Amino acid sequence: MAINFKDGVILGADSRTTTGAYIANRVTDKLTQVHDTIWCCRSGSAADTQAVADIVSYHLNMYGVTNAEAPTTQVAASLFQELCYENKDALSAGIILAGWDARHGGQVFSIPLGGSLHKQPFAIGGSGSTYIYGYTDAHWREQMTEEEGIDFVRSALQEAIKWDGSSGGVIRLVVLTKAGAVRHLYLPDNGYTGPGVTN
Amino acid sequence: MVEYAVKAVENGGTAVGIRCKDGVVLAVEKIITSKLLKPGANKRIATVDRHVGIVSAGLVPDGRHFVSRARDEASSWRSTYKGPIPTSAIANRLGGYVQAYTLYSSVRPFGVTAIVGGWDTEAELPVDGQVGNGPKSGSGGKVEGAKAGGPGLYMIEPSGLYWGYYGAATGKGRQAAKAELEKLDLSSGNLSLADGVKEAARIIYVAHEDSKDKEFELEMTWISSVDGPTKGRHEEVPKEILEEAEKAAKRALEGDDEEEEDKGEGEQMEE
Amino acid sequence: MPGFDFTNYNRNAALHAKGVPLPKATSTGTTIVGCIYDKGVVIAADTRATSGPIVADKNCEKLHYIAPKIWCAGAGTAADTEFTTALISSNVELHSLSTGRDPRVITCMTMLKQHLFRYQGHIGAYLVVAGVDPTGTGLYTVHAHGSTDKLPYVTMGSGSLAAMSVFESTWQPDLDRQGAIDICAEAIKAGIFNDLGSGSNVDVCVIEKDQPTQLLRNYMKPNDRPQKERNYRFPRGTTAYLDQRVISKEDMKKYVTIETLSGDDKITTGDSMEVDT
Repeated sequence: MAINFKDGVILGADSRTTTGAYIANRVTDKLTQVHDTIWCCRSGSAADTQAVADIVSYHLNMYGVTNAEAPTTQVAASLFQELCYENKDALSAGIILAGWDARHGGQVFSIPLGGSLHKQPFAIGGSGSTYIYGYTDAHWREQMTEEEGIDFVRSALQEAIKWDGSSGGVIRLVVLTKAGAVRHLYLPDNGYTGPGVTN
Repeated sequence: MVEYAVKAVENGGTAVGIRCKDGVVLAVEKIITSKLLKPGANKRIATVDRHVGIVSAGLVPDGRHFVSRARDEASSWRSTYKGPIPTSAIANRLGGYVQAYTLYSSVRPFGVTAIVGGWDTEAELPVDGQVGNGPKSGSGGKVEGAKAGGPGLYMIEPSGLYWGYYGAATGKGRQAAKAELEKLDLSSGNLSLADGVKEAARIIYVAHEDSKDKEFELEMTWISSVDGPTKGRHEEVPKEILEEAEKAAKRALEGDDEEEEDKGEGEQMEE
Repeated sequence: MPGFDFTNYNRNAALHAKGVPLPKATSTGTTIVGCIYDKGVVIAADTRATSGPIVADKNCEKLHYIAPKIWCAGAGTAADTEFTTALISSNVELHSLSTGRDPRVITCMTMLKQHLFRYQGHIGAYLVVAGVDPTGTGLYTVHAHGSTDKLPYVTMGSGSLAAMSVFESTWQPDLDRQGAIDICAEAIKAGIFNDLGSGSNVDVCVIEKDQPTQLLRNYMKPNDRPQKERNYRFPRGTTAYLDQRVISKEDMKKYVTIETLSGDDKITTGDSMEVDT
């Protein structure tokens, strides 16, 4: 999931990767950087989303050097959308894109299975998201502070992990603001209360 | 080979571009080669995308092919990035394209020098095809006062060399035109688009002085900011404004003493 | 008619429709593992190759060379792991030669994942990639569809569950070289003993900075066949016989003809073949 807040955006995800009933990785990092302050949450096929994110990452880096200007979140959104739409028959990728840039501030886009593009105040996706539509709808507010935003994302993911068998492990967050990208980590050992900032 | 292409350019009708604070003007001196040609037809300034225009001096068919390529580039950018191409980016791509024609024995270089003018929108655009608009209160964390968008003016030579300009001139009368452009103090960014139009017209007339024997037609386009007269689009300068600018240009050529009056009239036209 | 011949395809489709199962590729029910330690990384594998219910090879090698300090453990389709690692090894060496730098584990992992993703899972290679490079120690898993994971300890193959249980219960963050070898060998043994697809011996590969890579082939042989306690051979004369006749070589010549052929002669001609039929 990803949300807009007062100073930018926050991305969050659990860390479970499954192959059938087996947990192939319990500490996965599903928050993937595609440029300095443009990140995405991957859900669906790990192979497909990694491949798509790698391709977008390559193009954004090329964009940055050829135009001598960092790409905007819109550029990243259109690249993701194009790839997901043109290859919709071969991909199972649900991507939430969130980024911050000086001109547009924080923005959240959702690119679900068919390859459409939705700009949203906040976005949720993946198997666990069905359990938190109600929670997020009731609790998300415009212009939250960073602390409120982090609390909101963490609580929502905690709820998704509680109800969804395919979600679990740790909670990872990335906060994107003028200050850059800051990672957070919350462990199940202490009820997802810490350790917090990790970089 | 590039040298021959430059020769072709040096004999083409004078073309100028002026980058003003709230827009860009493109103007070209179109020599009338036959009385049978319909006045106002056979345009030499082309629209490449909604917000970008190109004027060229030199071989006209080469200019047309160049414009066609520019349109392809603009449309290709739109299909991958779902938004308008920045003027700097289209200049860069066209520069690369022209350069490639100097590399191979099977092709000759372009016989044109092109002036590319555009306005990169200062507005926040949605991604083409996006659904929804994000939070009601708008995106958080914007850096206030971060300037975005604005005018862009580039000139691309047959060698592929291109630079960004405050004022650009090419074609037969370029020396005179450049001298006039330099007097305008464009780098201070004070010249308004309305004044720019008049200056562009005057410069074309001044540049024509040396070849007075031939008849010519003035063709002029402009691109204003989003809240200006063209709303960020590349359009022909409206007939009345064009005629007024031509009248002022002719007066300016006859003598400097009447200049003050022209200014007054021009100012009123702005409204 | 020029072009492709689809008769075999049609035959196979017809057989398949009648319920004849497709022939199975030699697939390795396998246990492979990897684990990083303070100065390097260890990977290990069992040595059983299976073809359906048959053990095709009791002591095969599942640790593949990529570069001197990058090795791969492979599970899945044996031919696919063999050829994929060989291909990437070749490309990695060329890349290293052209850049003039030591190859990196992440480069190798990226090449593998892009190759496997292109084939959409049809190349059944499930790999553990490990090594040390100028950036440090690397340990990744690469799945046949092209997804990758980066972890401090990893397991793959049909015995991965058994092996992972060893890591999850005994792994600790500050292992030394021997500690890493021990835990990897223990994990492979868990696969060998608890997974039907895995068996035989333990192969180990230790890759460490500033140290030659060590391939410890058959590091453990927990299934060595012991000397049989009894001998089932029959002593000479066990079987009674009624008569004995010895035919000498000379006698034999009465029944057969011996012909010597010179090298220049055509040994077979069309005619002589026809006489036989």
